[in-house]
Amino acid sequence: MSSQLTVHLSILLFWPVAFATLGALAPRRVAPVLALIGALIPLGYAVLLLIDFDAGRSGSLQYVTDAEWIPDLGVRYKLGIDGLNLWLIALTTLLWAFSAVWVALRPTERPRLFAFHLGLAETAVLGAFLAQDLLLFVLFFDLMLVPFYFLVGQWGGPARVGATIKMVIYTLVGSLLMLAAAVATGVLAGEQSGSELTFVMSDLVRTSLPEDTQRWLFVAFALAFLIKMPAFPFHGWMPDAYRNMPLPVLAVFSAVLSKVAAYGFLRIVLPIFPDASVDFQTVLLIVGLVSIVYGSAMAFTTTEVRLILGYSSIAQLGFIVLGIFALRPEGGQGAILQMVNHGLVVAPLFFIVALLSERSAGSESIRDMGGLATRGPVLASLFLIIALATLAIPGSANFAGEFLILLGVFQTKLVIAVIAFTGVALASVYMLRAYIRTMHNRTPTNVASSDLSVRDGVVLVPVVLVILAFALYPQAALSDGEGGVKAAVRSAQAVSEGKQNPATAASAAPEVTP
Amino acid sequence: MTPKAPNIDFAAISPLIALLTGACVVLLLGLLRSRFARTQLVPGLTIVTLGATAGLAIWRWGENTSVLSASLRMDDLTLALTLLFVAGAIATVLLAWRGVAPREAGHGEFYCLLLATVLGMVVLVAAQNLVAVFIGYELLSIPLYVLCATELRREKSLESGLKYLIIGSVGSATLLYGLSFLYGATGSTDFSGIAAAVRVSDVGDDVLFLTGIGLTVTGLAFKASVAPFHQWTPDVYEGAPTPVTAFMAVATKAAAFGVFLRLFDVALIGTASTWAPALAVLALITIVVGNVGALGQSSLKRMLAYSSVAQAGYMLAGVVVSTQLGVQAVVFYLAAYLLMNLAAFAVIVVRERETDLGDDMAAMHGLGASRPWLAWPMTIAMLSLAGFPATAGFFGKINLIQAVVENDYAWLAVAIVLGSAISLAYYLRVIAAVWMRAPGETGRARAVPARLAASGRPLIAGGAPEADETGGSRAAGDRSDKEPGAHAAGEGRAAEGPEPGGLPDPGHAAAAGRTEAADPGPAPAASAGSALGRLRQPEVVFVALICTVGTLFFGVYPSPLLDFARDAGDAFTNLF
Amino acid sequence: MDAVRTCAWMVLLFPLAGTVVIALLGRVLPGKAPGWVGTLAIAASFASAVATLVNLQALGEEERQVRAVAWDYANTVGVDAQLSLLVDPLSVLMILVVTGVSTLIHLYSVSYMGSDRGYRRFFAFLNFFVFSMLLLVLAGNFLILIVGWAFVGAASYMLISFWYRRTTATGAGIKAFVINVVGDVGLVIGTYFIFRGTGSLDFLITFDAVEEAFARNDGDLVAGCIGLLVGAFAKSAQVPLHTWLPDAMEGPTPVSALIHAATMVTAGVYLIARMHPLFERAPAAADVGAIVGCVTLVIAATIAVVQTDLKRVIAYSTMSQIGYMVMGVSAGAYAAGLFHLMTHAFFKALLFMAAGSIIGAMAGSQDLDRMSGFRRAMPFTFGCFVIGGLALAGVPPFSGFFSKDEILTYVAARDDWHVVLAIFGYLGALLTAVYTFRMIFRAFLGEPSPEARELEGGHLHHAEVHTNPATGEVEDSDVGFPGPEHHIAEREGSMKIAMGMLAIGATFAGFLQIPGVTHILDTFLEPTFADSIYFEELKPSDTVTYGGLLLGAVLGLLGIAIAYALWVRDPEAPGRIRQRLHGLHGFLYRKWFFDELIDGVIVRPFAFFGRFARGTFERLVVNGLFVGGTTASVRAGSSAVRAAQSGFLRYYAALVLVGLAGLGFYFLVSAA
Repeated sequence: MSSQLTVHLSILLFWPVAFATLGALAPRRVAPVLALIGALIPLGYAVLLLIDFDAGRSGSLQYVTDAEWIPDLGVRYKLGIDGLNLWLIALTTLLWAFSAVWVALRPTERPRLFAFHLGLAETAVLGAFLAQDLLLFVLFFDLMLVPFYFLVGQWGGPARVGATIKMVIYTLVGSLLMLAAAVATGVLAGEQSGSELTFVMSDLVRTSLPEDTQRWLFVAFALAFLIKMPAFPFHGWMPDAYRNMPLPVLAVFSAVLSKVAAYGFLRIVLPIFPDASVDFQTVLLIVGLVSIVYGSAMAFTTTEVRLILGYSSIAQLGFIVLGIFALRPEGGQGAILQMVNHGLVVAPLFFIVALLSERSAGSESIRDMGGLATRGPVLASLFLIIALATLAIPGSANFAGEFLILLGVFQTKLVIAVIAFTGVALASVYMLRAYIRTMHNRTPTNVASSDLSVRDGVVLVPVVLVILAFALYPQAALSDGEGGVKAAVRSAQAVSEGKQNPATAASAAPEVTP
Repeated sequence: MTPKAPNIDFAAISPLIALLTGACVVLLLGLLRSRFARTQLVPGLTIVTLGATAGLAIWRWGENTSVLSASLRMDDLTLALTLLFVAGAIATVLLAWRGVAPREAGHGEFYCLLLATVLGMVVLVAAQNLVAVFIGYELLSIPLYVLCATELRREKSLESGLKYLIIGSVGSATLLYGLSFLYGATGSTDFSGIAAAVRVSDVGDDVLFLTGIGLTVTGLAFKASVAPFHQWTPDVYEGAPTPVTAFMAVATKAAAFGVFLRLFDVALIGTASTWAPALAVLALITIVVGNVGALGQSSLKRMLAYSSVAQAGYMLAGVVVSTQLGVQAVVFYLAAYLLMNLAAFAVIVVRERETDLGDDMAAMHGLGASRPWLAWPMTIAMLSLAGFPATAGFFGKINLIQAVVENDYAWLAVAIVLGSAISLAYYLRVIAAVWMRAPGETGRARAVPARLAASGRPLIAGGAPEADETGGSRAAGDRSDKEPGAHAAGEGRAAEGPEPGGLPDPGHAAAAGRTEAADPGPAPAASAGSALGRLRQPEVVFVALICTVGTLFFGVYPSPLLDFARDAGDAFTNLF
Repeated sequence: MDAVRTCAWMVLLFPLAGTVVIALLGRVLPGKAPGWVGTLAIAASFASAVATLVNLQALGEEERQVRAVAWDYANTVGVDAQLSLLVDPLSVLMILVVTGVSTLIHLYSVSYMGSDRGYRRFFAFLNFFVFSMLLLVLAGNFLILIVGWAFVGAASYMLISFWYRRTTATGAGIKAFVINVVGDVGLVIGTYFIFRGTGSLDFLITFDAVEEAFARNDGDLVAGCIGLLVGAFAKSAQVPLHTWLPDAMEGPTPVSALIHAATMVTAGVYLIARMHPLFERAPAAADVGAIVGCVTLVIAATIAVVQTDLKRVIAYSTMSQIGYMVMGVSAGAYAAGLFHLMTHAFFKALLFMAAGSIIGAMAGSQDLDRMSGFRRAMPFTFGCFVIGGLALAGVPPFSGFFSKDEILTYVAARDDWHVVLAIFGYLGALLTAVYTFRMIFRAFLGEPSPEARELEGGHLHHAEVHTNPATGEVEDSDVGFPGPEHHIAEREGSMKIAMGMLAIGATFAGFLQIPGVTHILDTFLEPTFADSIYFEELKPSDTVTYGGLLLGAVLGLLGIAIAYALWVRDPEAPGRIRQRLHGLHGFLYRKWFFDELIDGVIVRPFAFFGRFARGTFERLVVNGLFVGGTTASVRAGSSAVRAAQSGFLRYYAALVLVGLAGLGFYFLVSAA
């Protein structure tokens, strides 16, 4: 195997943890600065990548790093960027920068250790996005959990220890199954093709495993990803974890980690197990559908702001699952776009939760809030913008995402698409409910309303600006993603259209027009 | 070609010779009067011996020679395992350096027994015929029985020794019985002869032969603590002096699996189709029993005992597949396992001497804040045992899974991962105790023994009914019989003055820094701990750190260890 | 061409700029400046609209459909969504109406909202609304249309709950928003169906492709058009998606005038007209539209007769009037429908402004029962209200007369069963006249109310403590409610000007389309509807035309007469009738129980489902079964192992024997 090495991605990948380690060892004064550098430089790097990325070849990997790592196990250190992960990487770096600034401006106790875990987490997530070797992906995917285990367990809320152990075990059950499945995939693919053992995804894609083998491997992977998202009914760990996670951590956790799982479907499951993906298409679509309805229902009955966001995330992830398992380019494109959008809106929302609770005597229940708009017009209007984006009002990039997702589903399974639209309507109910109950109506006595401080503005405003810019020009992400998504869904789409009747095949015709 | 007196290739057996001489010298030195000779020279010389053995092993690396009329085979597998034993033994010496056990049992005796055990292990894994197997087996076992009982003033230590002796004898008897059956069935004692017999005749489904296999499996399963023959493990591990426990956990297991590989993948390979399923089932049972057994244990040593049972299950899966890849996986796993366990035990030793909590989970509370240099080794050891990425344990698991999947034992792979999923529950509890519980806090850790005692299940494996009552009061008991130990250690130090070669204790320095600077918090227990912590034990912390670094290094770049394992695996030329 | 494009973009940019400026610089702008900034922005937008018109007319007949593309919006994998505008006579007509009326209403608001604490916020929102509305009518493809569609909904939400301290206002706001989202969903689904056929989102491409893409009444096409209709109904408050509009009267009066009378609520009409190539290809869907429009106009009119909240009466009349338009455009009377849309914008905005003036005089109270005798106190308002009323009631020669009758005659001329619709339409016209003049007579004639007296005395009444009529909770004039001062047209120049100009429009706009005399609108709209099968062919015979005009005039006057008889000649009569028709009155007063219906069918079940999911399912299944189940089983295993771990050697030995026996057994079996 030719070993080619462009160092860029490795720098991007290991910068955060390197600086986090430095920060952990450095004296207290300089530590926060180091942490900030550790988070901001990767953002700059990602922006450069966005500019430099060649959208024309977004179907094929760019800036590939490919080196021997563990020849005995056939594991290679292969990183690469294509249309699938480019924008997710940008999102990751952006939100970690967001979180780092947040922490820098509102320090926690034992800040150095906190920053260390945060940096380790960023590296792990970036690794999962960048990895082009199956085992490398699994490695980073499991590694992601470690820092969050500590962050929740040490800085979390009252029930933190129980919550964090529950979260780790629950999600690792899936991940470990995936580990076994990943190894099995490599081995079996090796036996299939007769070539030497390899876990490099591009090689695995080429060998098509027998359908029944694909099935159980698919189940293992799907389980891991669905638990991670989480999707109904695997979200049992979510409420406790969300209740106890420190907010700066929760912001990145909810915004990015769930996307890793969704990304895994596009990067691994669809290309490597196309037949199984088609066989399980309906099942997964229904899982997504139920997640949407169930999540929305929960979100609009619960009164804890964190959980409103948590359950709304379940619903949003449901949409993304729908998009992916439409097994069509529209759906895939929508899914990618929606991953970025949801990350962009949910992180600032958690920041706003922090602001709200400090204005209403530490409570995080909408019962104890209200009327904050009177003294905080700026905060109110920023919150309104984000809330509208969250409920995917047309004109927001979120809507562009949902539009494509549901179009994809509509082309394959009309009924499911139509039912899924209830989720769109429900989203407006629970988001506006949250907005009105906090910002409008009368002000309870315990609430001390005040406007956004400059310090908090520094954290919040940039992200809002990004949301607005993205709403004006979602095309940026779409044209970068097109090639990658097409490549990801090609084989699965071919299989499904082979199985379906020509009517739908004909309806797929416009999708090939440029 | 077989002369009367076998010509002996002394170069090949030089490691054995080194160990033997070392043992004798140490024993004699132990008789000297001078305290320095006993407390410093003896352990030092033990380490020298072990170092020499390691050196010789490395020197002989790559030359696969059969010696003593092919009764022993000093090939890479033997040498690889020898290196593991030696590493384990060296660590044990360091852990025991200031321990209670050598002082009470007499230094010379203690370290001599240790070396003898190592010798037995080498013989066992090198054995090429049934007699040698049994000799090695006994040579390994009998000193261990004694070592377990070396804390003479602690009834649990004595009890564990006795218990180990009895059960171990049952094991030896069964093994001997089985070996004799094998001989009877095949008419040959050396492995090649047995293998040949299996190949040519249809002895493969001869009742006598198969019964022999069954008995042999049982005998070896004892040593490897494979369920359902594991039950001595928790009691003995908990009772024995912690350094000895550490040694048993890492070295004995390695020896047992070494002979497993030899016997089954060389002698009995012909009937693999028969015994493989049986071992697979045993592996499954072991994984389940070990992992669920470890849940909710408040005694760390007991918890690690069960975890060692579970790990035995994983490794047995590697034996089952009977391929070179399987052998590699097992050897790799043994090495990784050694690193992570020693790190954990080292931390336990430190805390045992610092606090009055013994090996109770509570001893770990607040460690993250007060003693980072102990907290991190413990944390990483636990993560590695749980098989988290970026630790050696992760690749150990991947290696095993790869081996079993390649031989269509996918369900065994699933069993392994589900087992590790369960294991998270107790490994993470330790980490939680280290980082997330306040020092004073007697959280769930203390509640557990109480609950158990209430449910009438004695924690000490009392051989007598009255043990039931002592269950609840074991913490008190611990304390009472810890005092003399601590005092002895104290005066011992006082007299000894500064240790030779005692390197500055980073752990303690950092701890002191922390306790002054950061945390006004640490509640009585910890402050008491750091007060007791005045007795510095650099060598123990050193072991912990070395092993931690190793765990991380091989977690990020496992290739060297993999090559090491592959060479060992290549010893099995008969396998593919 | 480019001139047209530039002007069109200008039309959009000015309101947007206004929003941004007011929002960002609002704090530094002194006093009423934000209001003036907003007004000027819209005025400039109106000017550019006029410029667009001129440039467009300069083009040749067939060139008058101009696409203006800014950039790709979501142009990928076969979806061709660009940020594009479509400038043609139809959209130009709409932007003229929108910007024109908006300018006047901004002017009105500068005074009317003068003393409100949310003054800046108000104009920022209002400008944003105008921007959204213009985006809606200028949209060049479905996606942008949907964007505008949703933006006006959002703006409407913000302005309805403008006084967000009132729970009634926030409640009304979320209601309006959600129902509008339902509309958006319908629109999107409709778009999907059509896109599936034509493979393009662009209007012009779609319209060209529709011929070969769909057969007549093709299932997909009908489904698509129904989807579009759902959107139209939700936005234009047609039955059964109308319940938000009356509640929307919680918003400030200028908002009601602009959004809930003149512009946004007529978007549905525009949509149907815009989509006429699709609807003509799917007559089944078009018929649905016509029938629903007819039903709505009757229901709304009946409800309006008994309501006692001044603004709500006007709101229901709006519903009813839009019912006419929807019926018209669905039946193919495009020019007529749009004509009525325009005239209605004038006279209904005028009515709301006048109502706002009275409400100002009543210190924020909208209760019709408490008003009377304002004739002398507020002559100008009275005049405007009467003009608006006459136009609404369809009395010649006021604008409403011509537009409404054109609709009805065209519908009657369509075919046999459409005649039935037309007849109901005339019934509605009668009711319209009745409730309109019921308002006028009760508010302006009769004994002057205390407020009216006070005003004649030259002092504008101020209630010391406001209470919310709906909930009875004390108003929070902090940001809750119009500030302590109130404004009436008689005293505010800007309000006078605005109302005056609208009054002129309401009076004379009708002359654009006098049957047999002028066809200005027809000829102007011709290019848009060139491909229509009805636009040219559908012409009522002269007898129908003039008969219709006559009938309309008679019914209008008759209605006024009835109203006079009931509420002026014999004020006791209404009470007596209410006694006799108690059931009917209750039924109408409760608005045909639509709110209760929706609440019972949709809201409650879903809320119950949510509570069930949270209270029961989450606990029992998600946590109990999945988490608890596994942990419990593992725990059981653990305790079993501990039980075996008794510590007694005898037990260990026993277990060893068991294991050994098991192994032995296995090997013996495998041996045999």
